[in-house]
Amino acid sequence: MSKKLNIPVNRVEGDLEITVELSGGVVKDAWCSGTMFRGIENILRGRHALDGLVITPRICGICSTTHLAAAAAALDMICGANVPDNARRVRNIALMTENIQSDMRHGFLFFAADFTNVAYSGHSLYEEAVRRYRPLKGCTALETIAETKRVLEIVAILGGQWPHSSFMVPGGVVTLPGASDILHCKNRLINYKEWYERRVLGCEIERWLEVKSKENLDAWLDESESHKEGETGFFVRFCREAGLSNIGAGHGNFLSYGSLDMPEETAVESGGGALFIKAGFSSGGEVREFDQEKVSEHVAHSWFQGYEGGRHPLSGLTIPHFDGKDADRYSWAKAPRYDGLPAETGPLAELIIAKDPLFTELVKKEGPSVFVRELARLTRPSRLIPAMEVWLDEIIKSGSSFYSQPGDVPDGDGFGLIEAARGALGHWVRIKDSRIEQYQVITPTAWHASPRDSNGRRGPFEESLVGIEVRDLENPVELGQVIRSYDACLVCTVHAIEASKGSRILSLRVG
Amino acid sequence: MPVSLYWLQCGGCSGDSVSLLNADSPDLPRFFNQSGIDFLWHQSLSQTTFKEKQKLDKALLSGRKKLDILCVEGSIIRGPGDTGMFDTTCGKPKKELAAALSRKAKYVIAVGTCAAYGGIGVDGPALATGLQFHRSEKGGFLGHGFRSGAGLPVINLPGCPCHYNIITGTLSALAAGIDIELDEFNRPVEWYGILVHQGCTRNEYHEYRVEEHEFGEKGCLFFYKGCHGPLAYGSCNKLLWNRRTSKTRVGVPCFGCTMPDFPQSYPFFQTRNIEGIPLDLPDGLNRAHYMAYKGMAAAAAPDRLKWRKTGI
Repeated sequence: MSKKLNIPVNRVEGDLEITVELSGGVVKDAWCSGTMFRGIENILRGRHALDGLVITPRICGICSTTHLAAAAAALDMICGANVPDNARRVRNIALMTENIQSDMRHGFLFFAADFTNVAYSGHSLYEEAVRRYRPLKGCTALETIAETKRVLEIVAILGGQWPHSSFMVPGGVVTLPGASDILHCKNRLINYKEWYERRVLGCEIERWLEVKSKENLDAWLDESESHKEGETGFFVRFCREAGLSNIGAGHGNFLSYGSLDMPEETAVESGGGALFIKAGFSSGGEVREFDQEKVSEHVAHSWFQGYEGGRHPLSGLTIPHFDGKDADRYSWAKAPRYDGLPAETGPLAELIIAKDPLFTELVKKEGPSVFVRELARLTRPSRLIPAMEVWLDEIIKSGSSFYSQPGDVPDGDGFGLIEAARGALGHWVRIKDSRIEQYQVITPTAWHASPRDSNGRRGPFEESLVGIEVRDLENPVELGQVIRSYDACLVCTVHAIEASKGSRILSLRVG
Repeated sequence: MPVSLYWLQCGGCSGDSVSLLNADSPDLPRFFNQSGIDFLWHQSLSQTTFKEKQKLDKALLSGRKKLDILCVEGSIIRGPGDTGMFDTTCGKPKKELAAALSRKAKYVIAVGTCAAYGGIGVDGPALATGLQFHRSEKGGFLGHGFRSGAGLPVINLPGCPCHYNIITGTLSALAAGIDIELDEFNRPVEWYGILVHQGCTRNEYHEYRVEEHEFGEKGCLFFYKGCHGPLAYGSCNKLLWNRRTSKTRVGVPCFGCTMPDFPQSYPFFQTRNIEGIPLDLPDGLNRAHYMAYKGMAAAAAPDRLKWRKTGI
């Protein structure tokens, strides 16, 4: 006898349906299915070379700036553009601003809202969690809405509006921010930093960055009331009691494309070579060099016209094929693979690739989990804000060159690979006769929400759900938390899916 | 009696929802409280569990619970064929839910250009369309004759995304029972009776036809960079974005995202010309008069503009 239950997993961006097979209350298998196709890549084909700068931000309202940056970087490569230092700084600051607001909105509007679920009513911190995170009512939720909105003024000052601007173009940015604009950005950033330190970390950024081991983390937590009561400390305590460091491991493969082009002259320290955030791939605890040639997409279980194995995005095909009859196909998402393997991407992956001591130790000792993934996200602003401050100061000192005309876009291939709030985002573009001949986008959530590949290997969401004991079939909050710990944004998983924001339905097959 | 609001996301990018989160004076949560709006459902922002949501849908569709305002974000996806299976919820086409809720609502609002006119997916395999328009053609998904419970057509709030103040302004007006006058594309005249160009800080350059040929040159973007500011109706430069500025002020051309034909089929970032004069002229202008005026304006341009000394 099998029984189907629908379960809420809203508060993610986009529509995703997950079918879970349970036995004795434990998840035995999972299938993740993207339920929307907007066909953005098909729309781009044949359009003018620069049109991706206007169309692709519209892939996703949540991270439109990162799509713009990836589109511009792909064209920079094709044009051989020389992007001036100040244009790099402006681009970076806009991207980092989008990330630091997204991390807090995700953390306190989407993720922590689960702590107010009745499933946790027996948790010793439940009442406090309700006071803080109740949607549109909790004090932290209200502050997050107010603060994130204000910090986004930085993107508007540099780019005209947020979301959906097109201020990055091959060769730089079109804007000419003056000293007063940059000073306003700086003030906004310092305001945000003050809130982030006071409310989210409960300490200065410098103090948090001294936490380099699990032992340090425990000592930090016990050190003061403000560490304990800040959102980060509260999060650690809540997760520990709730056992959230024991679920949601996934494959343990991590991918970062690397991100944020370093200006040639800057006081900011590079994370690896020409990038502030390092690129790499890690499997089995070993970090390797990243090579974009190893990225491929499979469609064996997706509603697309089939091909053998995987294809690199530049030779990728996105031809929808849905007849409702093929039982092996269950998603509008393709299955991206790196060197044939599924991979997790996002803030935790960035830290593993960068060999961050705290997160490397946590993953080594406890494995990847809902807890460690979300902790990486909540603390990411501490790693971005200091560099943003330096770059803002440097813009004023470095003159007014924000654009260097690269000429018409020649024929050629290019790719723009960056780290969006949710992880690795890639645009692969082929231009011929000033027109777009090929455009393929792989979003972070495409990596995560991937269905099985042609070898039958599960995607990260699917893998992360297997083995979880569901305490209440009527309210399987832990499954939703696993998905949300990846900061799922299906809206963005264009390839195939495109979704309205949304309600993730878990269809549980009990049998 | 609180006014009930249901926000349905269809074929979109969530851009209008995140724009709404930028609402200022007051912040969004306080806005709902102050306006007496009961926010029944939003996929990202509600606490409602899916089970409760299913109950809610049932109650609304059976008429047991009243639905005052339905906001639809994103286009109605009809593909492949007319099945709608490119966008489903619980295995059923989302468009069915959109149609059913629209028939129950007192007011239906299309938030953003996709919901209003089809927008981004309109020319693609998704066969996207707007609620009551397909681009500038009347009809769309619900049909030309559709009227909501209050006897009104779908109220279109285009923009990619729609400006947050327009969303909260429209909701406030409806909640307070204030009539909203609509233009030929069913946009409120209040916010769409003004051109994007009005309030742009590059107007001085525009007046004297001092134009940008290259990005970052300082000048007006209308003649060469494909700016729709003087053509498109929208209050970007009146309301400003994120409380600060606008695309055209910082040098990004207006792409006409509030217009029914967005996205245009021809290239962005360049202006279609006839002998150096834009093919598309502001509403109501006579080409010969415009050419004469622009020729004289260019000749009269002061040096401070020609030398790009004046700030923007």
